[in-house]
Amino acid sequence: MSTAHRLIRLRPRSALALAVTSLLGLVAFGWPLFADAGSAVDTSHSADAPWLFVVLLPLLAAVILAELTEGGLDAKAVAVLGMLAAVGAALRPLAPGAAGIDPSFVVIVLGGRIFGRGFGFVLGALTLFASALITGGVGPWMPFQMFGAAWVGFFAGCLPSLRGRWEVWLVAGYGFVASVGYGALLNMWFWPFGAYGPEVSYVAGATLLENGYRYGAFWLTTSLGWDVSRGVLISTLVLLAGHPVMSALRRTARRAAFDVPTEFGVGSSR
Amino acid sequence: MRPVDLPSYSRNLHPGAWWLWAIGLAAAASRTTNPAILLIILGVTGLVVAARRSDAPWANAYAAFLKLALVVIAIRVVLQSLLSSQSQGVEVLFTLPEIPLPDAAAGIKLGGMVTAEAVLRAFYEGLQLATILCCVGAANALASARRLLRSVPGALYELGVATVVALTFAPQLVTDAARVRAAHRLRGRDDRGLRSLARTVMPVLEGALDRSVELAASMDSRGYGRTTDAGRVSRLTTGLLTFGGLFGVCVGMFGLLDGSSPPMLGLPSLLAGVALSSCGIAVGGRRTRRTRYRPDPWALPEWMVSGCGFAAAAAMFATAAVDPAALHLPGPLAVPEVPWIAVGGVLIAALPARLAPSPPSGSLHRAVSSPARSSFEASLAADQRRETA
Repeated sequence: MSTAHRLIRLRPRSALALAVTSLLGLVAFGWPLFADAGSAVDTSHSADAPWLFVVLLPLLAAVILAELTEGGLDAKAVAVLGMLAAVGAALRPLAPGAAGIDPSFVVIVLGGRIFGRGFGFVLGALTLFASALITGGVGPWMPFQMFGAAWVGFFAGCLPSLRGRWEVWLVAGYGFVASVGYGALLNMWFWPFGAYGPEVSYVAGATLLENGYRYGAFWLTTSLGWDVSRGVLISTLVLLAGHPVMSALRRTARRAAFDVPTEFGVGSSR
Repeated sequence: MRPVDLPSYSRNLHPGAWWLWAIGLAAAASRTTNPAILLIILGVTGLVVAARRSDAPWANAYAAFLKLALVVIAIRVVLQSLLSSQSQGVEVLFTLPEIPLPDAAAGIKLGGMVTAEAVLRAFYEGLQLATILCCVGAANALASARRLLRSVPGALYELGVATVVALTFAPQLVTDAARVRAAHRLRGRDDRGLRSLARTVMPVLEGALDRSVELAASMDSRGYGRTTDAGRVSRLTTGLLTFGGLFGVCVGMFGLLDGSSPPMLGLPSLLAGVALSSCGIAVGGRRTRRTRYRPDPWALPEWMVSGCGFAAAAAMFATAAVDPAALHLPGPLAVPEVPWIAVGGVLIAALPARLAPSPPSGSLHRAVSSPARSSFEASLAADQRRETA
């Protein structure tokens, strides 16, 4: 029996679209590091460059989500997706601190682990979207969060198939890494917008190494504490509740029989 | 004139109109660091939210965004004064104890003299971000998320339904948790602490998963998920448009990031890619032919509200072209001047406080008293009836 019940299959076409949009999404996060001096997005002569990516990313999210669900999702996938996103979204306002500690990652990681990487990607994006709608938190940051969480769910579905006691440790370790990585990536989108101090702010036109060093200093001094504490929280929650939750998800997958193709043939009705 | 064209006809404005209005104001705020204009924009958003917000739960979002905006300003001012150096000004406000740092942090200085210029500049830049945040917060408070979801393109229809499921069931999970805790109390168990939390979470999750299987069965039995077969040609067109668009965006982004590339490679191909991808989404949506159940009208008030936002942005861009000096202070200590065209445009954006129809009162009570789940299923069934009719 396979570890993952693939609810949303990645066909070659949607896999290609996922790769291209993920690459573009990474550029939308990391453009301050790659922009050449004198290029069109050089912020030293135009302050509008960061907004370009803010406008572009929602479209990319729509394109990839439409492409992933292109064959049409069946009712079971929609119901499970909606319900898990509801659990994640309901967990999110419980978090102390606005954006820092975020228990909804547990649902995204475990959902991606059980229902496969395509589902993990969509679940991550949808959870963040639904919780933004519920808490009235729709803003320019939302598409960036959606992409970040979608990658968290996607890679959770890519983890090697391991069962038994070690599975929980694997997922917990992944949860820690993913939370810290998410934090490190997410600061990137608003980093070029502001001046925080001479040595930690974005300098337009500086080399990759210089700006990388500045960003590293910015991350270490501002958000590392939050990210690590979120990572610890997520991996603790996975260690405590991971086993029963994963069994519950597997049971649902079996009950709803996602892998069984439905066929209406001549012989099926009497 | 239809009744929906009258501002006195009480109804919910199309959420798209509120978002366009807010985006116009945010675009206006992004053009200026003049604190006088920024404060007027802040006042305008507050006025309109106070006049036209409904009694829905998300209507309190504006206050949350306002708090977030204050935090943004505070963080900027504090960081700037901790890290300020004399290069930004000469007017010393006060002197903090300076913390010596190792040589590895070359150039970083913690503490020391804090200049008025540094603090004021940080405050003005923070105020600009805070104003944009408040514009977004106003849209969050005024526009109904649920109604906005009705306007998702057809290609994302399934995900729209999944989001509606999430929005419907998330509040119910809180109720579920309260019920499980009550059951624990009745059995004489402690309902505080980490242990009881763990005992609460699993039953709630199991219940949610069971319900999702039930919901799927109920959706299946109502014929949900019936898609008209797209056919090879339509699939191929969608794919070509989508991938062509993505290719255009890739080329455009490369052109924008690379300093030596010809200007044709940048923005034009990015825009072409965006247009192609949008066409791909539109064509992909045609596989699901669905009519909308009681669609939100786009009538005269919608035009006026979005037009007011556009007027604010247009006035600001006009000022930026004619008199750019008025939008940015010559120095942090200068007294801000008031450019009248820009301020006039921003004040036009305050008109929706009167022009937009007032939201129907008491709609919340009706929505709460009918169980959320059955109302979702009813609307689903209504959708399906329309679809088969």
